[in-house]
Amino acid sequence: MDYVLDLGAVTRHFGPLLEGLWVTIQLTLAANAMGLVLGFAVALLVLSPVRLVRLPAVAFVEFFRCTPAIVQIVWFFYCVPMLFNLYLGSMTMGILALGLNLAAFNGEAYRAAIQAVPREQRDAAVALGLSPLQSTLHVILPTALRLAMPVLLTNGIVIFQQSALVAIVAVPDLMYEAKSLATKTYRPIETFTLVALVYFAVSFPVSQVVGWLERRRAVAMA
Amino acid sequence: MFDGTRDQTALVRMEGLHKSYGAVKVLQGLDIEMKRGDRVVVIGPSGGGKSTLLRVLMGLEKVDAGNISFGGRPYITVRNGKTVIDTEVRRSIGMVFQHYTLFPHLSVLQNLVLAPCKVNGEGTASAKARAQALLDRFGLGARAGAYPAQLSGGQKQRVAIARALMLDPKLMLFDEVTSALDPELVAEVEQVMLELAAQAMPMVIVTHDMWFARNIASRVIFCAGGVVVEDGPPEQVLGKPIHERTREFINRVFHIRA
Ligand SMILES: Nc1ncnc2c1ncn2[C@@H]1O[C@H](COP(=O)(O)OP(=O)(O)OP(=O)(O)O)[C@@H](O)[C@H]1O
Ligand SMILES: [Mg+2]
Repeated sequence: MDYVLDLGAVTRHFGPLLEGLWVTIQLTLAANAMGLVLGFAVALLVLSPVRLVRLPAVAFVEFFRCTPAIVQIVWFFYCVPMLFNLYLGSMTMGILALGLNLAAFNGEAYRAAIQAVPREQRDAAVALGLSPLQSTLHVILPTALRLAMPVLLTNGIVIFQQSALVAIVAVPDLMYEAKSLATKTYRPIETFTLVALVYFAVSFPVSQVVGWLERRRAVAMA
Repeated sequence: MFDGTRDQTALVRMEGLHKSYGAVKVLQGLDIEMKRGDRVVVIGPSGGGKSTLLRVLMGLEKVDAGNISFGGRPYITVRNGKTVIDTEVRRSIGMVFQHYTLFPHLSVLQNLVLAPCKVNGEGTASAKARAQALLDRFGLGARAGAYPAQLSGGQKQRVAIARALMLDPKLMLFDEVTSALDPELVAEVEQVMLELAAQAMPMVIVTHDMWFARNIASRVIFCAGGVVVEDGPPEQVLGKPIHERTREFINRVFHIRA
């Protein structure tokens, strides 16, 4: 193999890569905002004692958990416009596809966390005379959020990585820009290695924070 | 020990309480009458329904049959198979649990003022002042700003007791509040409970600590198989039990501890 590394080929085209990274970050933040809020609603629906409310929510969660993300994204891009005559621009579609996926996974994280709030804490809230709404608001929510935080962060970082999938439907994200750059410069090794490092550089600190939160949570729940 | 404070009118009257979890019959016709001056210690084998009894009394569980009145007023009744709980009566009862009682996201002071402020609409300043005074009294004044995770198990339980007292309960329930503690921390919690006893606070206490039971009880109830087997002064139930079943249990427990 006589491939000679030429980092300059990549660094000379930093502009498009940075623009791609910015698109990736926007996708990630918007999908996370959606996933954090919608996910909580999903959890409340999944925990509903009313079957008619619970079943559609469970179906929603299972659909996203049991199909590959890449299929979800492709389906969203090609089928939604045809089925619903709805096309919102590739960026918005990307955010919606990723956000709904994240809502399903975060919904499960919230559900598990709500169920993990020790029974004694709900009981203590009742014993102190708090109404069901007050106890949800002041006792269960804060504790559940705290319990779910490591998983929510992990899911958020997974979405950051999964967002690379939208490159195949022409959203100009980091991966998309990297592919065009690699094709243009014939420098796939430099380009894709650099891009991998960028994804790593963002994900790794967050995963460290998750580890730290989990250690702290183990202490705090005692 | 504290007999001078006895008052003979009924505070709690439980009649024919039945409760099962699925096929497991836990309470099978429980009748207990508690006077205002009573400090009842409930003892009995594991799974005998002691916690269930306290949880029912706290209004945390549904019952299948029976009723409870509090201060002569109907508190828990069963109507058409549904448990009806008078929440106003429930607010005059306080309870401390074995584990996880404190809210971990709130400081000690915030734990104490949450219910007075949210439920009773008390002003924050006044609630905080009362809370601080209570904490000072329990030797926890310096820990007001601490979070539950920063407290020892004994401190947590004392805070939990203080939090319940913030609502001026007319009856306090304690479910094995020292069972999860390191042995050296048990005394500080029991000390607080003895103080409450000295102030004639009516209590129902579930404990496996027979020494403590003897010290604090005005009455001991031996509960097994979902019914009251023996009910009498501590000298009788713990010392010279009348029923064979009680005697067996007491012998076994004291034997383990000795
Ligand atoms: N939430 C529940 N669901 C199903 N069964 C339960 C539940 N709570 C208690 N039980 C069962 O009811 C019975 C009585 O339990 P309870 O906790 O009242 O006993 P206990 O006297 O407090 O025992 P211990 O000394 O071990 O605390 C046990 O057989 C227990 O398994
Ligand atoms: Mg118990």
